[in-house]
Amino acid sequence: MKNRSGGIYPYLLVLPALLLILAVTLYPSIYSIYLSLTRIRGGVSEFVGLDNFNRILSSPSFYESLQVTLIFTFFYVLLTVTVAYGIALMLNSGLKLTGVYMTIIFLPWILSEITTGVVWRWMFYPKEGIIQNLIAPLFNNVALITRPAGALTIVIAATVWRSISFAMLLLLAGLQTIPHEINEAAEIDGADGLSLFRYITWPLMLPTTVVTAVFILIQGINGVGMILSITEGGPGRATEVLGIMMYRQAMQYFNFGFAAAISVILLIINLILAAFYLRALRRESVLAA
Amino acid sequence: MKRKTIRSLLYNTLLMIFCLIILFPVVYSILVSLHEPKTAFLSIIPQRWTLENYARLFSHGQFPRYILNSLINGLGGAVVTTLAATLAAYSLARFQFKGKAAIEAFILGMMLLPGLTNLIPIFKLASDLKLLNTYTLMILVFGAYGVPLSIWIMKGFFESVPKVLEEAAAIDGANPVQTFLQVVLPITIPGLIATLLVNFVYNWNNFITPLILINKTSMKMATVGLFDFQHVLEGNQDELLAAACVVIMIPAIILFLRLRDYFLRGMTEGAVKG
Repeated sequence: MKNRSGGIYPYLLVLPALLLILAVTLYPSIYSIYLSLTRIRGGVSEFVGLDNFNRILSSPSFYESLQVTLIFTFFYVLLTVTVAYGIALMLNSGLKLTGVYMTIIFLPWILSEITTGVVWRWMFYPKEGIIQNLIAPLFNNVALITRPAGALTIVIAATVWRSISFAMLLLLAGLQTIPHEINEAAEIDGADGLSLFRYITWPLMLPTTVVTAVFILIQGINGVGMILSITEGGPGRATEVLGIMMYRQAMQYFNFGFAAAISVILLIINLILAAFYLRALRRESVLAA
Repeated sequence: MKRKTIRSLLYNTLLMIFCLIILFPVVYSILVSLHEPKTAFLSIIPQRWTLENYARLFSHGQFPRYILNSLINGLGGAVVTTLAATLAAYSLARFQFKGKAAIEAFILGMMLLPGLTNLIPIFKLASDLKLLNTYTLMILVFGAYGVPLSIWIMKGFFESVPKVLEEAAAIDGANPVQTFLQVVLPITIPGLIATLLVNFVYNWNNFITPLILINKTSMKMATVGLFDFQHVLEGNQDELLAAACVVIMIPAIILFLRLRDYFLRGMTEGAVKG
């Protein structure tokens, strides 16, 4: 039974899966590169070389979107990982209610972005929003969602709220690989909670933390659902991250070549991040072994 | 000992506050949906509770049709994923063959390609093939989305089946297909059904894919229908909008509560193997 080779069967069995992945993932990725080099004019697509990229790279709106994307992902990753870290530390201390907490914390992640996006928008309605009214005195009664910085803050809060569970799960898995003896020994030596974290947990967890941060970063770059349902990229273009710019160019202005070029830029960013991610992952597993 | 008690008291308090923050938007949407028309923002707790919004949601308009489309696309996609992934996972778990490592690396690599950047080319390809606004397209796309991760999860299931069982069946003269159907499948079927349902939830929830690939009203999925409702109902029929939200949340919540560990396993595998 060892080294069982089934002739042609093993290949036939993986074939349907491979064909699906080829047709829906790999081929479209390659096709998007071709599309980004074309433009549709009068219903006919023509080859325009790097024209779309030239237009993107010389358009101020691209750099605005890029800036929004960078600000959004920076705070999204920072806040998600920080809060998730805190929650993971608390859940790792063997509380009786851990199971209940886990179930509740995961709720946002398993709900559709559009449903939770609708609710977040309600909470910040200019006049009736329940959270808006709560915080209005702090902001001179300005409706946050109508201001660029305010809208971006709301969108960041909502996406962090949705993703904490995922980061928490990865960090908790990392924490559970730290042997209890290490913590106990340090406590016997008189280490208090803070120095225990600083000198033991943090360094041991650093590879896992990096993996988690890069993973959340990838989620952030590609996340558009919450933003679409909360602000649709507005007010103006204040929350228009690259993904939403791509969507708008394709679906509202029918600039497919242009949208495909943004798509290719996003793809390149993703490939770079994926390379980072695999490296971080390998480093983590080497250290864990 | 006393330090520990104080600590767990502190942790429990903080976690409970955190859980309230997490739960609030979900509970709030349920509360809004139970308000009478035009009263959503007068009070958090309805002054008069009503199920009228749900009745209206299902008695006229496109919503029932959207739900039906979500069921067809979501389940169809999950079935395609599960079939393809089961075969591939069994092959990778049980056979040694040339090119296996390359195939595994390819599948893992594809997990890292984001769905978002594929949507524009898929839209264009589907439009050339006259597949826009069809169940076929959505089932195919959803079917493919779930494949890499499902292969990884199911491979684990198949590897956990003791090889002795299969060897015994082979000695009894069963051919590989019989062995698979009569020995392996019965043991792994709970896992396969769970995988199918987890994939269904992800398809059911998907918003951006059907938003781009479907523009014909009668073919829209519930998530996109909700996005349309948001534009039409917001500010004057929020209670109805809330009811639609809750209806879309319910299947995901129920399946998550039943299959929590499968969901969590999928999340860790997806991140750590990817």
